[in-house]
Amino acid sequence: MINVFKNLYNYRELLKTNVKKEIRGKYKNSFLGVLWSFLNPLLQILVYAIVFQMILKNPQEDYAIFICCGLIPWTFFSSAISRSAFTMVENGNILKKVYFPREILPISIVTSEAVNFLISTIIIIAFVVFGGLGISKYIVFYPLVLLAQYLLLIAISLIVSSISVYVRDLQHLIGVALQLLFYATPIVYSADTIPANFQWILKLNPMTYIIEAYRDMFYTQTMVDVPALLILIAISLIGCVIGYLIFNKLQKGFAEQL
Amino acid sequence: MSKEYKIIVDDVYKTFNVYLDKANTIKEKLLFLFSRNKKEKREVLKGINLKVKKGEVVALIGTNGSGKSTLLKLMTKIIYPNKGKITTEGKLTSLLELGAGFHPDFSGRENIYFNASIFGLTKKEIDKRLDDIIEFSELGPYIDNPVRTYSSGMYMRLAFSVAINVDADILLIDEILSVGDEHFQNKCYEKMRDLKSQGKTMVFVTHSMQTVKQLCDRAVWLCDGTIKMDGPTEEVVDEYIKETK
Repeated sequence: MINVFKNLYNYRELLKTNVKKEIRGKYKNSFLGVLWSFLNPLLQILVYAIVFQMILKNPQEDYAIFICCGLIPWTFFSSAISRSAFTMVENGNILKKVYFPREILPISIVTSEAVNFLISTIIIIAFVVFGGLGISKYIVFYPLVLLAQYLLLIAISLIVSSISVYVRDLQHLIGVALQLLFYATPIVYSADTIPANFQWILKLNPMTYIIEAYRDMFYTQTMVDVPALLILIAISLIGCVIGYLIFNKLQKGFAEQL
Repeated sequence: MSKEYKIIVDDVYKTFNVYLDKANTIKEKLLFLFSRNKKEKREVLKGINLKVKKGEVVALIGTNGSGKSTLLKLMTKIIYPNKGKITTEGKLTSLLELGAGFHPDFSGRENIYFNASIFGLTKKEIDKRLDDIIEFSELGPYIDNPVRTYSSGMYMRLAFSVAINVDADILLIDEILSVGDEHFQNKCYEKMRDLKSQGKTMVFVTHSMQTVKQLCDRAVWLCDGTIKMDGPTEEVVDEYIKETK
């Protein structure tokens, strides 16, 4: 296990250039460039606000802020996973010709999405400040929540990226699964509006705890559920180990499968 | 592993599954369960044993399809053996294909950073070598042009300059020196002799017997996935030429 970290440390420059390339490449050929990383979530929030607040009459107060706190962390989650499913196939050419620790690829996807999320947090802050809620002291827990989400994503992306080399269908399945999970996570609605007999779904969904934590920090401005987050971090760490074991087993066949 | 050997190949077998029609989707995989006849097994390496000492320069020779490149890929850990074990010691760089990982839109200079980082160098280490790499490539003012504007010779020169300056303990080289003019080729051989005198270990795959005789102390003749002959360059090469005539 120590070897894994040593290897990653030796290749840190590759990780760095990869993350930079991912971030830079994302908006390279678009007219509005980096502006899209702000415009995209804003437009999405607008769509949900129109549908759920104006048409469906959701009684939630400050609905746009409410949505914003859930949607932006969710975008981090979903784009990291869906991009992990493509990364091996996209980089097939290099994988077949050069050796480097293959786990660099999913890790750099998750890391670059985390950086994107950090930038997008400006939107959340802008919403709560200009929406009149202000910033609470609970924002100190932001790094802890981010860490929990990061580790969770590393675990998932190790598994998703390696399996998708063998089963290309996964790329399509993941799109559907993420959509399902979107509605199984309290993003457009609040968890307490869900009937008691469906609550178990939310309880089993790790993203519930993460979204709730961001919402506690920014929207309701109450204490975040630290024990729940610590448990989530512990589970994610176990997930990372399992994910790595699966990844390591499967990566031996990458060059032949691609 | 004893310090004496840099590469130990221990009874290695490698079989490739050749799918005539590959099942990539779940549907196809399920269907293939019932009709398994579309898979062919191709045994490429059958029990290879090879030990390379520190500072040795070894050539792998043999006809096309004898398993030379496969053996090289196994040593780099791009693919893994079905049976047997390969251990290498120290930093290993392989040149299976020049310029793998070059990004055509970035400049030559940026690509040096990117390519060298794939070989596991840190920013500081690349900074230190940057001038050497640019000088060796003889690209001069073109180094800041995007790589897509390069001729194939320039491309190859840049790629080779990066790889040769990585400072690896073991260098694995697949038939790649066929590009480039005579002047650059000679320069490469010069550099390799230089590396050899520094005690670096090298394994070559080549069809040029002249190169083999010039550079290598030892030649290994692969034939149909087994080692047919292993010994001093002159002997093996002479025998090989006699056989393939």
